[in-house]
Amino acid sequence: MSATPRIHTRSESSETVAVSGIGAVKVDVRALNFYYGRFHALKNVSIEIPERQVTAFIGPSGCGKSTLLRTFNRMFEIYPDQRAEGQIVVDGEDILKSRRDVALIRARIGMVFQKPTPFPMSIHENIAFGIRLYEKLSKAEIAVRVESALTRAALWDEVKDKLQQTGTSLSGGQQQRLCIARAVAIRPEIILLDEPCSALDPISTAKVEELIEELKNDYTVVIVTHNMQQAARVSDRTAFMYMGELVEYGPTEGIFTKPSKKQTEDYITGRFG
Amino acid sequence: MNTPSEHIIRSYDDELKRLTGEIVRMGEIAIAQIEGAVDVVERRDSRAAERVVANDDAIDQLEASVSHDVLLLLARRQPMARDLREILAALRIAADIERIGDYAANVAKRSMALNINAPITPVRSLPALAEAASGLLADVLKAYRDGDSELARQVWERDADLDALYTALFRELLTYMMEDPRNITSATHLLFMAKNFERIGDHATNIAENVWFLATGEPLTEARQKGDLTASPELQPRA
Repeated sequence: MSATPRIHTRSESSETVAVSGIGAVKVDVRALNFYYGRFHALKNVSIEIPERQVTAFIGPSGCGKSTLLRTFNRMFEIYPDQRAEGQIVVDGEDILKSRRDVALIRARIGMVFQKPTPFPMSIHENIAFGIRLYEKLSKAEIAVRVESALTRAALWDEVKDKLQQTGTSLSGGQQQRLCIARAVAIRPEIILLDEPCSALDPISTAKVEELIEELKNDYTVVIVTHNMQQAARVSDRTAFMYMGELVEYGPTEGIFTKPSKKQTEDYITGRFG
Repeated sequence: MNTPSEHIIRSYDDELKRLTGEIVRMGEIAIAQIEGAVDVVERRDSRAAERVVANDDAIDQLEASVSHDVLLLLARRQPMARDLREILAALRIAADIERIGDYAANVAKRSMALNINAPITPVRSLPALAEAASGLLADVLKAYRDGDSELARQVWERDADLDALYTALFRELLTYMMEDPRNITSATHLLFMAKNFERIGDHATNIAENVWFLATGEPLTEARQKGDLTASPELQPRA
């Protein structure tokens, strides 16, 4: 495949820089290669992800979009045989080479998975647990943070009277918003959403989408989705990946009305055979 | 990307084909209506004119099915990229052809009024206008069918010729009315007929813009040379 990703001119500086048309860059991925053992899953991917915007990754199953997302917080390191080469520069620091505690990186870069993963503890504890790991706060302060996180995740009104009930007693959509609240509670800078709505009904999906819209005021949001309409609705920029390569990346409006690559066109119009 | 490959879901292709077919059919009827309208003017045949007026229903019905099909396609398929442009273009083109049909029917209707009075000479200039208008429509439909943006752009530019023909006829009719006020009724009807053909050209250029957008994803925005000069002050009758 001869596709060359359409990327903007990169500044030589490793600082977070303003690039024409996309604003400040929060995550700057440079020539990233990723391997599952011998399988080359990401091939020389370079992409700049703007701050406080929603960037969507689309592409068929196995194209590498979730793999890319997992490199952003070094989630892959849990598994042997998986390695990343290249650079992922967040605020001027290459997180792949960072000697800092990986837990601190993950505190800055929160992640929400496809299936809701509440801890088997109370709704309150689901959120308080993470906060206590990073900050020493009084009970009252924690209560404030829990309420604020649940409010941000548009869940507060639904759970405020049953904070001591277990998180797993909630509906799927509520559980997913609880997970988003949990991610938001530790005040990350970047939120990674890996297919956050694929297990949700349309109403819960709408609530999560509404939430994403809210989140981008304060956070850099990166979402992987199989639902193209969702990418079109919630994102500012969209990246199309295919077989481990970044095929096309640009403003969402352009990708969905007039993509420049035939592969993108074929995929988003349902012509991939 | 003039001949996009097929969708994974075959019924989606069928629905899009059906939509294109309806537009093409609408256009063919509209061309026949323009030709029929100018024919009944030339032959001064009021009964045939009634038939042309009645035929306009067929275009209106097709426009209704295009709207219906577009609605269903949007609801079912959530189209993207070229599909989205194609569906949007179909809706807009159908509206333009519907207006063209109205103009052709109106020419036929006015011909009945014209037949009440004695024939006037400038009628002879009308077929040239009708031919130019139906020529633009036929070409823009071909451009639509083939996804030919270049042909669409040519149609868009050629509308200026139709405007020039209209301006010439406008002047001729003005002189005619000044020479003998008894011509005013017939000449006014004729003027409206000529204006209808000129408007048909404008709708053909709208269609051309939509074909261009459909094929390229870009708007066709260059300033077009306007040949219709009838609004300029030097053409006002001198007192």
